Amino acid sequence: MWLPIAGLLAGIILGFLVSVEIPLGVVKYTAIAILAAIDTILGGLRAQLEERFDLSIFTTGFFANTVFAALLTAIGDLLGVDIYLGAVIAFSVRIFGNVGFIRRDMLERYWRGTRQGTAAGQASR
Amino acid sequence: MALIEQSARGWRASRLQITLAVILAAAGFLAVTQIRNELLIRRQLRVPSQRLEELGFMLHEMERTRGVLEQQIVQLRGQLQAYEQGAAQGRAQLEALGQQLGQYRSLAGHVHVSGPGVIVELNDSPFPLRPGDDPNTVILHYTDLQGVINDLFASGAEAIAVNGERVIASSGMSCVGTTILCNTKRLAPPYRVIAIGPGDEMIAYVQRADGVVESLRSFAFPVKITKAVRVGVPAYRGSYRFTHARPSGPFE
Repeated sequence: MWLPIAGLLAGIILGFLVSVEIPLGVVKYTAIAILAAIDTILGGLRAQLEERFDLSIFTTGFFANTVFAALLTAIGDLLGVDIYLGAVIAFSVRIFGNVGFIRRDMLERYWRGTRQGTAAGQASR
Repeated sequence: MALIEQSARGWRASRLQITLAVILAAAGFLAVTQIRNELLIRRQLRVPSQRLEELGFMLHEMERTRGVLEQQIVQLRGQLQAYEQGAAQGRAQLEALGQQLGQYRSLAGHVHVSGPGVIVELNDSPFPLRPGDDPNTVILHYTDLQGVINDLFASGAEAIAVNGERVIASSGMSCVGTTILCNTKRLAPPYRVIAIGPGDEMIAYVQRADGVVESLRSFAFPVKITKAVRVGVPAYRGSYRFTHARPSGPFE
């Protein structure tokens, strides 16, 4: 469980250390891609908490969502439609939904843990 | 067997963790890079990246309008130059025109003029009219005044005024009762004719034998002719009206 968190921290630190300049025209797409990535990660966390996490679903979801969000935004720009607004709304709704579910799952786990005892709570983690 | 199973499970678990770690690292890296870029954009351009496209469009538009305006500037500069040239040429022409206009004005009697000349004073006969006499023999007629003015013009007068009324090209003399009209103004005796011109010639011509003054004197009308070093003739005060006459080209 600690390794993914360490990976996240490593990525953040790497991002601070290495300065990669994103071209001005691409900034919009990468923003949407990051939104999609955050959604996927939160979805994965929720699945983990609900004990139905699947690595292949998570991995494919992560890359597919990220790339597709950026692609859709680009297509929207080509068509002259602000599809990225749709993407922002969709991902935001999903992120909030996932955050809500994660909160409920965590509370459930906490209640179960207090009922079953601290040791069992630790083990279920 | 159990060991292998455990190690396989451990391997699967660690593989999962490693994959997760890599994905999360990528996500974190991407997010941090994005945030740093956005902050850089905001710090450098002082606008959020969402407005960049709009601003870019505005910039494009502005550049286009600037191009058009620059063309206009070039055009207007050319016009200005042409105007300045025209003005430089026109200034000389204007001066010449002004001089011409002054000449024409003085010719038309639109300016006060002064210079050497003669003063001819005429008056009705001082002898009282006896019963049965013709009143025409003691009253000065417009024809007499007209004759004097004609003589003065004929002998070189350049400007003539009768009792302060400038005689111009269209001035007509007419008789109304015992007064004379000149420029539709009533003139009453004594008549004071002021003429600017060559004094000696004018006096000689006006006083010639068989002239108007000679005949007036023979009828005992008092005529006084004086030469003046400097006399003033006022400007014509009326207006020119051309309701029938129209300017036309020269006739053959």
